[in-house]
Amino acid sequence: MATTRNAAGPCAGSAKAPSPLNEAPGARGRARGLRGSEYPLHVVSLVLFFAIWQWAGSRIPEAGAALATPTQVMASLADLYRTQFAGLTLPGHIWASAVRVLAGFAIAVALGIPAGLGMAYSPVFRALFNPIFCLLKPMPPLAWISVAILWMGIGEAPKIFIIVLGSLIPVILNSYNGLLLIDEEMYDVVRMLGGNRWDRIRLVSAPAALPSIGAGLQIAISVAWGSVVAAEMVSSRSGLGFIIMQGMKISDPGMIISGMVVIALLAFLSSLLVEALLRRVCVWQHDIGNL
Amino acid sequence: MDRTVVHIECDGVGKSYLQKGRTVPVLEGLSFGVRERELLVVLGPGQSGKTTLLRLMAGLEAPDAGCVRMHGEPVTGPGTDRGLVFQSYMLFPWLTVLGNVEIGLDIQGRRTGATRAQARDKARAYLDMVGLSGFEDYFPHQLSGGMKQRVGIARAYALEPQVMLLDEPFGQLDAQTRLSMEQETERIWRANRKTMVFVTNNIDEAVYLADRIAILEGKLPGRLAAIRDVPLPRPRDPMDVAFLRLREEITAMQKLAL
Amino acid sequence: MRTAPPPGRNRMRLRLLSVGSLLAFVLLWQLCVAPEGVSDWRIPRIMLSPPSEVAALFVDKLTNPKPDGETLVVHAWVSMQEAFLGYLLALLVGIPLGLAMGWFRTVRGLLRPIFEMIRPIPPVAWIPLTVFWFGIGLGGKVFIIWMSGVVPCVINAYIGVRMANPTYINMSRTYGATDWQVFTRACIPSALPMVFGALQIALVYCWITLVAAELLASDKGIGYLITTGRFLGRTDLVLVGMVSVGLTGALISLIIDRIEARLLAGLRR
Repeated sequence: MATTRNAAGPCAGSAKAPSPLNEAPGARGRARGLRGSEYPLHVVSLVLFFAIWQWAGSRIPEAGAALATPTQVMASLADLYRTQFAGLTLPGHIWASAVRVLAGFAIAVALGIPAGLGMAYSPVFRALFNPIFCLLKPMPPLAWISVAILWMGIGEAPKIFIIVLGSLIPVILNSYNGLLLIDEEMYDVVRMLGGNRWDRIRLVSAPAALPSIGAGLQIAISVAWGSVVAAEMVSSRSGLGFIIMQGMKISDPGMIISGMVVIALLAFLSSLLVEALLRRVCVWQHDIGNL
Repeated sequence: MDRTVVHIECDGVGKSYLQKGRTVPVLEGLSFGVRERELLVVLGPGQSGKTTLLRLMAGLEAPDAGCVRMHGEPVTGPGTDRGLVFQSYMLFPWLTVLGNVEIGLDIQGRRTGATRAQARDKARAYLDMVGLSGFEDYFPHQLSGGMKQRVGIARAYALEPQVMLLDEPFGQLDAQTRLSMEQETERIWRANRKTMVFVTNNIDEAVYLADRIAILEGKLPGRLAAIRDVPLPRPRDPMDVAFLRLREEITAMQKLAL
Repeated sequence: MRTAPPPGRNRMRLRLLSVGSLLAFVLLWQLCVAPEGVSDWRIPRIMLSPPSEVAALFVDKLTNPKPDGETLVVHAWVSMQEAFLGYLLALLVGIPLGLAMGWFRTVRGLLRPIFEMIRPIPPVAWIPLTVFWFGIGLGGKVFIIWMSGVVPCVINAYIGVRMANPTYINMSRTYGATDWQVFTRACIPSALPMVFGALQIALVYCWITLVAAELLASDKGIGYLITTGRFLGRTDLVLVGMVSVGLTGALISLIIDRIEARLLAGLRR
């Protein structure tokens, strides 16, 4: 008879990693037709997408002002790369955003994993922190920007603060759930083999919670990129969010879309990087994308 | 029963759980002893408290009433003098086959100072015993159910416990694999003659393996219905007339207990 | 049936601890802010308003349109309207789209590359383009919220279909169901739990994006309240806005939790 443990986490509900679509486990070739390749369709789809975009951007006069064509975006990107904008070229802005993301992400991980594990491990700790966590959870990180600037000035600190707040939540939630959802019989194995409390943590808790924590990190890094853009859009003199915001101010859709493209690429790449790292560490997990 | 040969015994053991605010009695007044080097099978249908009984004997839980004793000493918690084989294998998916068997040795080695190489050799020996040589570096998800449980058995044996406790170890296997695993279990048991308590809901399995069968009543709270000797010579043939006759007798006893 | 649930008294004690920790938090906040005109070790007033003042202003703002032009009720109403409209549209488009992408190869082949391209763009980054396209009124807000809500809907519906129990599908096939029938009668029901999972995720995303959108470009709504407070240097107003956002968000996810539990219970029966 299995125990149904109260898995209702901090405010219940676990964060699920928005997994890449090609990772649906066990689906390969099952639910109707992977007969024939989808690649030709992909090509058709992409060609159509860019063709329509180009056509709309260049032929519809009203759209032209608000919808740069793909070629204009390319030109804009090249321009940002070559000439300085607000004192920095594109790599400089990328670096500015990346440093913020990395700093915020690192702090969120350093705080979030112990907090989540602590909440799962100790009911007292959970009782103490859950109410505050529940209040902070639905608060969009950007809502903090005003007080953050008041408290910390207009330097790097408030931006990093916003990123920490945003990415902290998936880290906490997934660490919490990762530890809580471990089958208790796993611990019985170690107990039967003469293990003490430390052996249980070392041999079961740590490895068993790892995939879930990793999935949390993957969500967190995406959230971090979103947060940095938001923070930079509100107050900054550098970074990709700044480029997007300036594009809006000078009514240059090419610049806006350039910023969006770069952000999307970076978010995508860092998520891939985290996933690759996870695959490395959690060799036993064959469907990491879907935790 | 002669006290000197009793290895592990239950004395008036009772256990109940709280479920949705109600107390559900699972075991009540259960008393029996397992002799040294004996293979005792506990036979009972689903929901008769078998798993709970084994968890009490393992020391993973404490009984509400009565006492579990080993060599006359009350059992107060889990210990390496008893080895438990889990119904759902409970292998660690992040460890290889060898790693899984090594867990106990690794824990023990931290206390006794045994080297990693010694642990490795011993783990290999027990993997060999269950016929898994060559699979050391596989991960559990790459193994079939039968192979997984072989790892589970090797893991429990690796610490060389005095008493082996097996909780419906083959319940999830197909009939074919199950039969060969039963033969394997008997072979291993005959080779090293450890006291063994084997829990099952399968009458054939019980008659095939047991020196004695403890039959539980088929409803909660679980009580002991009868203990039956199985005086057949080993290895047994499930098609043998004596086997079938005994099987029928025990089926009848079980029906009565229901 | 192994570990007994904690006895009632213990649970009671933990609950008290929760309430206590919350009270301690508010008390600490109150004590750490210096009163008017005093400057000592405590946090000065311009940086943080004490909870007593925030609460008072909160009550006052319910009916008082000053200094930002609207009462809190109107701001909240505008925000909720935008959020729910965008959310509903996200569900209406995202779920069928995800289901179709999971089941029909052509749909999947055509839409996946575009979807994968758009997915990593943070919703906030759409705000400037949206302002170009729709202005700062309801339409633009709804579009951004839709953008952020539609992604989790598509993903969950898609995965739901791809992981649909093959037994149901094969059984329907055996009984001679057409492809469309298999899709509607076997595949969609078995994808539902996964789809419900998206409801909450999407709503949280929507809410977060909404506040961001209002902070950046708006003339009404709770986010706008925060921005106004910031420009006027009124910390208390900013905090009222934040508290409203937090409370409304918590309320929304509570309601969705309930609905989800109800729906799933109905499904299991």
